[in-house]
Amino acid sequence: MTRRMIIAALALGGVGLATYLAMYKLGLIGTLACKIGHCETVNLSKWATLMGVPVAVWGLGFYLLLFVVAFMGTTERFANAPWVSHALLALTAWGVVFSSWLTYLELFVINAVCMFCVISACLVFVLLLLSIWEWRHRPA
Amino acid sequence: MAKDRVEAGRGRSGKQVRPAAGASQSGAHKKKVEIRGTDRRPFYVLLGLIAAAAVIFIGWQMSQTKSMGVVSIDPNIKLPEASGYLLGNASAPVQILEFADFECPACGSFATLTEPDVRKRLVQTGQVSFRFLDFPLPIHRNTWDASMAAACANEQGKFWEMHDQIFATQDQWNGEQTNRPKSIFSRLAKQLSLNQSQWDDCYDTQKYKLNIAANQREGERRMVQSTPTFIIGDKLIPGALGFDQMKQYVDSAAAMAAAKPFPPLGDTALSKPPGKAKQ
Repeated sequence: MTRRMIIAALALGGVGLATYLAMYKLGLIGTLACKIGHCETVNLSKWATLMGVPVAVWGLGFYLLLFVVAFMGTTERFANAPWVSHALLALTAWGVVFSSWLTYLELFVINAVCMFCVISACLVFVLLLLSIWEWRHRPA
Repeated sequence: MAKDRVEAGRGRSGKQVRPAAGASQSGAHKKKVEIRGTDRRPFYVLLGLIAAAAVIFIGWQMSQTKSMGVVSIDPNIKLPEASGYLLGNASAPVQILEFADFECPACGSFATLTEPDVRKRLVQTGQVSFRFLDFPLPIHRNTWDASMAAACANEQGKFWEMHDQIFATQDQWNGEQTNRPKSIFSRLAKQLSLNQSQWDDCYDTQKYKLNIAANQREGERRMVQSTPTFIIGDKLIPGALGFDQMKQYVDSAAAMAAAKPFPPLGDTALSKPPGKAKQ
């Protein structure tokens, strides 16, 4: 299993997570299975929407893009493409910055923590570490 | 499994290959990933498992929503109406609206001193109808409880009896006397021979809270700012009125033909014929 495969697999998990939150935000799921924290408080706050689009939908787009790039990087055609490593690092670095901002809002502005948001933030952080590892061993 | 292989100028076939233009000949970055021949099945299995887990979880959540979201309810439940509580004939030539707070002393003064005359000389004679609407003020701690006690008595056809008793005992249950007024309202319900368990259930579940809020909202919509406030014809009159003052407003409204009957609001409150109003 290559690093890119691991990144692709984790990104697919992120797609599932973001799909779940986006479906809740769009009213397709009644309540969140949130045992810890205050997911609904966070997801119903004004901060859960950015430029008219739910943050969960932005997250879905992010994870989908990451998955597509990482998956492409596992194929024979792009296995030795260094731009894949660059793109993965850039995407996950942006993801960590964005997740950090969301976590700040949860802790200090909304005063409520969403379990799924914390899981997503941890996932993005792990993806960044893997992307750094991948970048350091990127193909020539 | 894929494996990294330092090729150092060697192709997969073992033949010499020319390094890519611009690529460094030294250092750890001179790697190429051997992908052909790698068994990708574990990767696809892992992706399949993750996707299946996500689909099952989301599908299960949606099915939970569906089973919890669709339930049978009483189709006759009405939306809360700001209909208040009516005394007298709804089509009387003059309508009096009173927006009042059960815990407000001036409202209590009007209810005990003036209102008996209004009922006897104006309502029972068919000159006016009298409608009470809750206007609970935020400064009064127990006023919502009082409104709910009265609303629950109305459910059993005894709003006005409870209304009178609540005002008469204002000194016992007001927010400065107690923060647990239910025992007093419960005693009043017992004195009025209400079905106690039904009244308790109604009071404890705050069954008519939305109706009370609707009455309050109606007052706000009509620019009511204090209690009691009366609306007689086209006049909004703040403050407790004496009988003579109220009679003047009623006569004026009756003379103006502007006094129109209230539109039927689907009133569910107790409506007594003028001859049977409590004195």
